[in-house]
Amino acid sequence: MALCFIFIGDTTTKSLLQEEQLIAGLRAKDRKTTEYLYEKYSRALYAVISRIIFDQDIAEEVFHDSFIKITRKIDSYEESKGRLYTWMANICRNSAIDKTRSKELSQSAKTNTIDDFVYGLESQSGTMDHVDGIGVKELMNQLNDDQKFIIEYIYFKGYTHSEVSEEFDIPLGTVKSRVRAAIQALKKNLDRI
Amino acid sequence: MDIQSYIASGKLELFLLGDLNESESEEVLTLAGKYPEIQKELDSLEEKMLAFDQKTGPVPSSKMKEKIFASLEDEFKAAETSKVRSSEAKVVSLSPWKLFAAAASIVAVLASAAAIFYGTKYYEKDRQFTALLLEQSVMADNLNQVKLEHEQKDVLVEKLVAGDFRRVQLKVGGLEIQKDAEVDVFWDQSAQEVFVAVNNLNELSGEYDYQLWAIGSKGPIGIGLVNSGQKLTLQQMQSVSDAGVFAITIEPKGGSQSPTLDKLVVIGDVT
Repeated sequence: MALCFIFIGDTTTKSLLQEEQLIAGLRAKDRKTTEYLYEKYSRALYAVISRIIFDQDIAEEVFHDSFIKITRKIDSYEESKGRLYTWMANICRNSAIDKTRSKELSQSAKTNTIDDFVYGLESQSGTMDHVDGIGVKELMNQLNDDQKFIIEYIYFKGYTHSEVSEEFDIPLGTVKSRVRAAIQALKKNLDRI
Repeated sequence: MDIQSYIASGKLELFLLGDLNESESEEVLTLAGKYPEIQKELDSLEEKMLAFDQKTGPVPSSKMKEKIFASLEDEFKAAETSKVRSSEAKVVSLSPWKLFAAAASIVAVLASAAAIFYGTKYYEKDRQFTALLLEQSVMADNLNQVKLEHEQKDVLVEKLVAGDFRRVQLKVGGLEIQKDAEVDVFWDQSAQEVFVAVNNLNELSGEYDYQLWAIGSKGPIGIGLVNSGQKLTLQQMQSVSDAGVFAITIEPKGGSQSPTLDKLVVIGDVT
């Protein structure tokens, strides 16, 4: 790993440099860099998957495959098309959605709701941080019904916005603006917790 | 082009969720390159989504990491041996003559000893460095957060200083639902901006919200919900140009179309 890390006052420049190093290390199949990537992002990426797939074993299997896919597809990642995290999160999200739509999962396993998720967090004693699980519940409870609905379908069930629009007969523009309103509300709540 | 309404359209969020088609994604990227405001919003959303993901999920089990790295082991090994091979090739080409063989082997032994010594040191430093990197990125994230909050406060202060705000004190009305309730409304009539500062309001149960009303010539108009938990900070409400009286009532969660007058908590005249 490059030790000539340049310390510049501007924080955005700094995190960009760091991201460049990270990507270069991943492309060189460097073990240390891959470990660093895992330490830094595994929890977030696993969260992306486990809120769509409730079953822990299947979620872990999808996470395993997604992480390997990330390290193997890193050459096709283009910096100009967004930041690394977003690219990785989308790989995980898409793998999770593909899984829920595959024959392997029964219809009942697909109905993952916010309540299941929060309940799941609370019941897996020892594997999670209880304080954070309660935080999620609070985050969600402060949303209004429209916002909860959007977050539940798009964030937790992995629907696309056009699917939500078609299935529930809500105009596309309304779905979009509700996604924004819901994420803004989450942003606000997140700052408070 | 109206940047604010583009940001408000929700496209940026869908872009980050990978929920836009090729041409729409291109459009977001082009506009983000052209307008720093859009890029900034995109960055801030991205950070929040990461923070949300970091905070909400369970931690993957430690077995998970072992399993993943076992699957990747062959790839790491292949990369490492290809590095070693290229350095071996150099050593061979540097020692073609027997005359130098003895000297070369001594140099090789010394070099290996040095390599082991520095290698161990390097490994140790590298570990510290990785830990520092992680710590540094957390600090950078925190700093960005603080910066953002600071900017928001800055904008608020600027508004208050530059604007023509009138303070309207809302006091307990005839109903005395909460005897010690007290709220200040700050209203800039020409800019139509309204802020609320809660001095004292009781917490409500989950099914109710406080709603602020501006009562003008067209009757009461709901201009937003008041968060009783945020004491002594300014909450921006919806804009209003005509009001003779401001009042707060208790309404079912989400607010109502018209005020429930027997749940009037505080009221105050604009003088």
